[in-house]
Amino acid sequence: MTGVLGRANPLVLVALGLGGLVGSLAVRDVTTGVVTLGAYLAAGTLLLPRGAGPAARYLTVVVGGLSVAWSAWLLGGHDLAVALVAGLRVAVLALPGVAVAPLVDPSALADQLGQRLRLPARFVVGVAAALHRFESLGQVWEQADRARRSRGFGPGPGPLERGRHAASVTFAVLVATLRDATSMAVAMDARGFAGAHARTWAEPAPWTRLDGGVLALGVVGTVLPYALAVLV
Amino acid sequence: MSVLNAPRRALGGLRYRTVDLVTVAMLGVAVGVVFWGWTQLYHLVSAGLAVAFPPATGLLGGGWLLGGVLGGLVVRKPGAAVLTEVVAASVEALLGTGWGFSAVVSGVVQGLGAELVLALLLYRRFGTVVAVLAGTAAGAAGAVYEWFAYYPDWAWGFRLAYLGCFALSGAVLAGLGGAALVRALARTGVLDAFGPGRELADREQPAPAARA
Repeated sequence: MTGVLGRANPLVLVALGLGGLVGSLAVRDVTTGVVTLGAYLAAGTLLLPRGAGPAARYLTVVVGGLSVAWSAWLLGGHDLAVALVAGLRVAVLALPGVAVAPLVDPSALADQLGQRLRLPARFVVGVAAALHRFESLGQVWEQADRARRSRGFGPGPGPLERGRHAASVTFAVLVATLRDATSMAVAMDARGFAGAHARTWAEPAPWTRLDGGVLALGVVGTVLPYALAVLV
Repeated sequence: MSVLNAPRRALGGLRYRTVDLVTVAMLGVAVGVVFWGWTQLYHLVSAGLAVAFPPATGLLGGGWLLGGVLGGLVVRKPGAAVLTEVVAASVEALLGTGWGFSAVVSGVVQGLGAELVLALLLYRRFGTVVAVLAGTAAGAAGAVYEWFAYYPDWAWGFRLAYLGCFALSGAVLAGLGGAALVRALARTGVLDAFGPGRELADREQPAPAARA
């Protein structure tokens, strides 16, 4: 049972993340918020594989929840209950997505989007190809950074100079990305990408019984706050 | 080389060429990484604003609207703004933000805001004014989504103040910033297969007059 989410279909993981958003809209009182968040935490503890993704990411949920709670207190009539509900609502909204994000494999997701959801194949393949270049983005960044430094355009000590340096390196990365896009498009068209009639996929996009089960759990988690709101 | 030397008419066509698709996707990925960096910076800079007067944090929101404006201005086809913004927001969500997959929905809504402006102009105008309008609309749309998802408890005056701050930030950071970025990119030559690059080439080297 433990770590099931590590084997789940990326489409199901995305559905879980969006389910938190849908569910959060029903969190209108403290009881609903506490019970829903508790259920999510319990499910996460049971189903998430150990050591998947940095633990520090949960801190951003806490920070987001606190900032929304504070703003609701300040701008919503200095009511503690309102602030508490607002914080809980944002935690319910964000937690599932933040928890599953590191488990989603972009290539597997693209396979599912193209073959199972039947999104336009050309677009899916284009995005998947772009995501493959994601890792080379970091290398390009390093090259541009080093090139500028070695030519004497490195940043000085001040934060302003560092900012300017970061901006110019970002621009260089954008230029490299766009140049890459054009040459990749030529390469893809040379292999008949634009005019293909029957398209084949390198990898299958399976749907297992486990995926159905996790999806059902996700639906329960999404409906839970709505049911609680009626009962409470 | 029909991809690069497509005639001007084809550039205005509705069908996406491969280079349009790949550019939308690659821009989306690159901008998504920039978004993620912007989020880290935002946490530092916005902390003071968030404590003192939360609606003012909207002033920093424009950075997340850049994808739609950039994609729309470069590729100039229906859907390019939304697609770029959605890809960017998805990449940001997968890299990890405090808002989970709500970031993707934000991306859809903000992208639709920018897209609306370009669609109303029938995808024929892509100047600085249009970029500013698209950035403003993206900011306004994003603020309305956040009213419902994050800030339903705020009094209406503060919600409107947030909308104003977000739209202003969109106009300046995404609109003016995006237009300047497109001009700078066109000068490097990487947009030669697209509208901005062709326009620059036409300005610098007017077409020779037809022989009499």
